[in-house]
Amino acid sequence: MSATLPTEPDLQGSASLRPPQVLNGRGPLWVTDAVCSIVEGKTPLWWYAAIALSGSLAAAGGACILYMICTGVGVWGSNSPAFWAWDITNFIFWVSMAHAGSFISAVLFLTRQKWSLSVSRAAEAMTVFAIVCAGVYPAIHIGRVWYVWFLAPIPNNFGMWPNFSSPLLWDVFAVTSYLTVSSLFWFAGMVPDLAVLRDRATTRVRKFCYGIASLGWLGTARQWRHYEMMYVVLAGLTSVLVVTVTTIVASDCATSVIPGWHATIFPFYFMVGAVYSGSATVLTLLIPLRALYPQLKDLITPAQLEKVGMLLLMMGSCVGYVYVIELFNAWYSSNVFERGAFWERFTGTASWYAITCLSINLTIPQLFWFKRVRTCLPLVFVLAILCNVGMWFERFMIVTTSLLHDFLPSAWGNFHPSIVDIVTAVGTVGIFFTLFLLFIRFVPIMSMNELKASLPGTQPHHSGGKH
Amino acid sequence: MSASNLFHGHHLPVAGSDKKPLQAIGARFDTPDALLDAVRLLREGGFTRYECYTPYPVHGLDRAMRLPKSVLSLLVLGGGVSAVLIALSMELIPSCLIYPLVVDGKPVDLNALPMFVPIVVALTLMIAAVTAVIGMIVLGGMPRWNHPMFAWDLFAKDASRGFFVSVESTDRNFSVRGVTELLHAAGAGDVTAIHLEEN
Repeated sequence: MSATLPTEPDLQGSASLRPPQVLNGRGPLWVTDAVCSIVEGKTPLWWYAAIALSGSLAAAGGACILYMICTGVGVWGSNSPAFWAWDITNFIFWVSMAHAGSFISAVLFLTRQKWSLSVSRAAEAMTVFAIVCAGVYPAIHIGRVWYVWFLAPIPNNFGMWPNFSSPLLWDVFAVTSYLTVSSLFWFAGMVPDLAVLRDRATTRVRKFCYGIASLGWLGTARQWRHYEMMYVVLAGLTSVLVVTVTTIVASDCATSVIPGWHATIFPFYFMVGAVYSGSATVLTLLIPLRALYPQLKDLITPAQLEKVGMLLLMMGSCVGYVYVIELFNAWYSSNVFERGAFWERFTGTASWYAITCLSINLTIPQLFWFKRVRTCLPLVFVLAILCNVGMWFERFMIVTTSLLHDFLPSAWGNFHPSIVDIVTAVGTVGIFFTLFLLFIRFVPIMSMNELKASLPGTQPHHSGGKH
Repeated sequence: MSASNLFHGHHLPVAGSDKKPLQAIGARFDTPDALLDAVRLLREGGFTRYECYTPYPVHGLDRAMRLPKSVLSLLVLGGGVSAVLIALSMELIPSCLIYPLVVDGKPVDLNALPMFVPIVVALTLMIAAVTAVIGMIVLGGMPRWNHPMFAWDLFAKDASRGFFVSVESTDRNFSVRGVTELLHAAGAGDVTAIHLEEN
């Protein structure tokens, strides 16, 4: 069948104010083929190698979690006064990272930043998987996992009820809500693209699986009408989540009286750090993806990655600003405990965490001022990984080093991670990459329908005119 | 109307089994402009039971088909408002009535309303989002196992290769000749009679 969709680049000249969405004047059919070919083609060898590695890490992490559940939280390095250590550090690290995905797919969608279209699906996937990794910790860090249902407001004959004034309970609801909404946003946005895979499927198994997943999508005008409304609504709800979830997570610390935690700047602090580390993760994931699948080079363009780099620069600069203002406030407050906590943070036994954090996060994002840095993708890849290392140290600096040095000198202490701490943390990295590799292999990694709808020449020339 | 008549009388290819009743006449268009022209002709011809299938949302198609605004946003509002009520009663009834909690001599009561807000926000967003997705699925007539259009290979194999229209045989203005001519006049290719498939 020689059916063709319009591929003419007739409007590209007039749309030259913005860099083209898809390079080389590719048309909608090419977009479909390029995105579907990743799922439909032969599984590359590197994929098996990568998933073997990430799967092993995830399994090792799982084994450690099982060991911890069977033995007790004593197998972690957490102890008085560091009751919260790698568990909450990693929880905040992962849940924060998720925020850039929501920011890119929802906020940039609502503000009609079309450059984000081809990266938004992968960013949403990153969001969902990062929340899954984050969700590992809150349940297990309570120690007796079988009591986790105490967190849910279920009427019971002990006469027990959760304390709704506790930020820790707010956390449960915030993270559950975040996981639900972002998974729905991710999945619902994918339904029309899964239907494309269903139509193109060549085996019965694929046809059945994609058929179930695409819910019987036909692409009728009526379906699109509701779908578009749903997409706008979900983008709006997700944009609110970008602000509320980190705010609630920040309240875990900010509503307490511990010096180093008790600060009104915390919600903002956590949010900018969140989008900063998430932008870095998006770059860490997309740059290799683009190199491994050459057909994506016209879809994930250097111009788009450069914009993610600019987002990283902006949020990274905000993070740097907060570091400085936090130190200033500690000094300006004339509060002996605040001053002591911050002095200890940079000179005490755990000072290398804070020093690593500041030396990375105050310098690396600033390199993104230079276009030569932003456009050199291998360099951006390395810098983005460094940014996330810096952000992990930041989360540890906030959560644990503050606990090490509170009001009473007799309660001061130190923290050393145990091997179980370390393997569990590495295990969550394994879980994250395993899920992401499965995502690349089995579902369309870009929103084909959104991309096609935004290409030049794919919309009626006289829409809104005589009709 | 028998399918063989269809084929010989009007030279229409048949999709599905011609022993089964005729469901619709389908046509494929190359461009969204041609699709909008076809919709205009169908509307002017007084047709009401027709449907357009597009690989991506086509601007202006819903206006051309005179489709009303989606009620989904209203449903989401309903979901959100009930979520606020659910969340507030879930928090306030136990905390203030059934199981009042007094920590440090500070009772939990309505004066302490701000602390109930985060959970209300979280639950509202969650329930509103669930409503939006379920609403989209149900209003879009999903989930469904099959559809007569899938009997048509050209559509079933790769619907993303064109813009499709189907005019249902139950439309009161339906006649094979009339619809076929109208679709051809709009510049359609591959006009096909769509029957159900043999089991």
